[in-house]
Amino acid sequence: MIDGLVRLLGADKVKSDPVTLETYSRDATPEYFARPEAVVFAESTQDVVKIVNFANENKVPLIARGAGSNLCAATVPITGGIILALSKMNKILEISKSEMLAVVQPAVNTLELDNEAAKLNLMYPPDPGSRNVSTIGGNISTCAGGLRGLKYGVTRNYVLGLEIVLGSGEVIKTGGRLVKDVAGYDLTRLFVGSEGTLGVITEAIVALRPRPKVSKYGVAYFDSLENAAIAVEQIVSDGILPATLEFLDNVCINSVEDYANLGLNRSAGALLLFGDDGDEHTAESNTSQMAEICQKTSGILSVVRAKNVVEADALLEARRCSLPSLARLKSLSILEDISVSRPMLPVAVRRIEEIAKKYNLVIGTFGHAGDGNLHPTIVVDKNNPTEVAAAHQALADIFNLAIELGGTITGEHGVGIAKLPYLAARLGETQMEVLRRVKRTFDPNGILNPGKLGS
Amino acid sequence: MKDNEKVFSQELLDRCISCGYCLPVCPTYEITKDEASSPRGRINIMRAVQNNELTIFESLEQSSYCLGCRACEVVCPAGVEYGHMLEEWRDATWKGTSRPLIVRGLLIFAQSKFLIRIFGLFNLRNYKKQKNNEINLMLGCFERGLYPGVSSASSKIFKDLSIDPSQGCCGALHAHNGELDKGRLLAKEMGEKLSGVILTTSGGCAAHLSDVLGKNRVREVSQYLHESELFEQLKPIYKNGKKIKIGLQDSCHLRNGLAVFHQPREILKKIGEYIEVPGASECCGAAGSYSLVRPKDSKQIVSKKVKAIDELDLDYLVTVNPGCQRQMSTSIKRGPKVIHIVELVQQSLKLKESNG
Repeated sequence: MIDGLVRLLGADKVKSDPVTLETYSRDATPEYFARPEAVVFAESTQDVVKIVNFANENKVPLIARGAGSNLCAATVPITGGIILALSKMNKILEISKSEMLAVVQPAVNTLELDNEAAKLNLMYPPDPGSRNVSTIGGNISTCAGGLRGLKYGVTRNYVLGLEIVLGSGEVIKTGGRLVKDVAGYDLTRLFVGSEGTLGVITEAIVALRPRPKVSKYGVAYFDSLENAAIAVEQIVSDGILPATLEFLDNVCINSVEDYANLGLNRSAGALLLFGDDGDEHTAESNTSQMAEICQKTSGILSVVRAKNVVEADALLEARRCSLPSLARLKSLSILEDISVSRPMLPVAVRRIEEIAKKYNLVIGTFGHAGDGNLHPTIVVDKNNPTEVAAAHQALADIFNLAIELGGTITGEHGVGIAKLPYLAARLGETQMEVLRRVKRTFDPNGILNPGKLGS
Repeated sequence: MKDNEKVFSQELLDRCISCGYCLPVCPTYEITKDEASSPRGRINIMRAVQNNELTIFESLEQSSYCLGCRACEVVCPAGVEYGHMLEEWRDATWKGTSRPLIVRGLLIFAQSKFLIRIFGLFNLRNYKKQKNNEINLMLGCFERGLYPGVSSASSKIFKDLSIDPSQGCCGALHAHNGELDKGRLLAKEMGEKLSGVILTTSGGCAAHLSDVLGKNRVREVSQYLHESELFEQLKPIYKNGKKIKIGLQDSCHLRNGLAVFHQPREILKKIGEYIEVPGASECCGAAGSYSLVRPKDSKQIVSKKVKAIDELDLDYLVTVNPGCQRQMSTSIKRGPKVIHIVELVQQSLKLKESNG
């Protein structure tokens, strides 16, 4: 197989030494790993077509990979096969200020795109936590969310068009530069979140937005996460759609404080970070109004407005370093990603605390309170099998809880391998079968990322 | 603590959560776009070595390709001590005969106080042997021979330094090249020989000494000058009636290991028109012995930087580490004069010209 790939692409685009294979056996998801048989580096759409055809002829699995920063093991080659590294297809091809869009290759870095857009007073709104490493192709494939999902939506709201090499080896271009276009099925939307199981994205057209002039922030401490969730519900009911509504529970507050020493209130049950962006007047009045609402909510301990950029950055830092801080508590941290409707948020957070007690586990919960997306994170000692087993039982309980409350098993991280066992519970058998049929239509030989979505 | 049977301290390996935040800042990943030459990839290689899934021999190429610049540590949200892990890795990969010949030569030289003294001999008259002072000037092993003007300038700027010419090497070179124990031992010896605070003109030595002796025992020269009253006395240097244009090349270990990077910039802003070189914070490819061991890769790393500097029309490119001084002065064919920060400070304070 390696010889065939080398003949097809040249030796410098193909690697099969044990060291390379080891490093491509994992992504950012703990507990999942499997070595591929080869890693190939594509530099053009033509390269991708050649590789897909090769995989079809040889019936060998092909797993497309951007930065490998996903949290659902979507790029772990569990069935072996070839890793298709797209990391060299990383050029921003065009940014059009008048059309407010960008044309990019799949491995363009998310933050870099936003930085380039900023030079034209534009922004690329989706801001997943991993945006300094993640790629646009990866973001599209997992429909990545981020910290400002409530106001700005998620990746799917910004994908206008795609160039895709289908599993069959055919190349199609969906959508385009148009705001309105209803010619045909919305295949663009179908590929968003398809996790590399239907085709390989080789180019994307994404929408940009005017860059807000200012951002304002504040922080409120509550006695419990439940009361913080009630405040969130009140804020949105009052007609405010802010850019930032993030919360941390007591476990997170204390681990963040141990790690970063930001002067947080360690005894509080929850920290709510709120803020808005836009022009000076709107951002200021919305942020003050949110502060007032928090002040009136029961269980409020204190409300502080960030006076300047430095203080605001410290608050954002508290949210951003939640995961790494939790990860320092024990050797294994499993980060989950359920989502519930906002009114269900107070119940969800209370029930997660009960699950932690039931299994005697440390579960830190933080999340995007504004859009109902929660990241309960279980930290255990990886060398303690009893604790690890309890963690997986607790995860099952958390997924079941999400479904019971009408929510979902993953809000923004994706299904991958990690959540596939729970997918049927969310979608039902009929829909699972439709997924398989869709998969067969685009990838008749089942070569693309097998053993995941649509399998 | 490290299990003697194992190559790595398990605790250091466990801290990485594989988020990949380090990928965009890694100079070798920037070139290859290959996970294997990224910090996360290298940590996965180390883990595989630790678990006997890869042999230490198989891992040698990536251990040697890494510059050891530690840019990954600054962006790591989990506080992974990559520099320490690399030292453990090199300690295992570059054992005995697998150590590159040129590195062996360098280490033999640097651990011989006699050879270092001979090397710096012609310059000895510049050092007045003084004792009983709180601040001891470190002369450096290679620096004192290659760039004698640097120590000489320091001794003129700071009048009351103790200078002991019998001092040896701080061991940074050893620690980064597969002789971790020896490197730490040499640093401890240096700490005993030079009491009080050790002042060094080398960012790399400052980071290594701080690591072994503690930060309060060590000052890098720009850091020390910035804290001192001399800082306020710095005057602009003019060339053809205009302030000189100055750029900086950071020292990786000074910046990434000790977070000293605004001090040299503040100093240069007082001396002339400071212009930030794009990518000033990124490794120049000198990386200790790297430019000698892997000259081709080192040139590839520095070429981007040379191009950026070429476009700036600088009078001086300032360095804060002898390795960077050598790398930049041999790489920049035309354009600014490459100079150590203390030599420019000496000019600014209108002290007697150095002999160097």
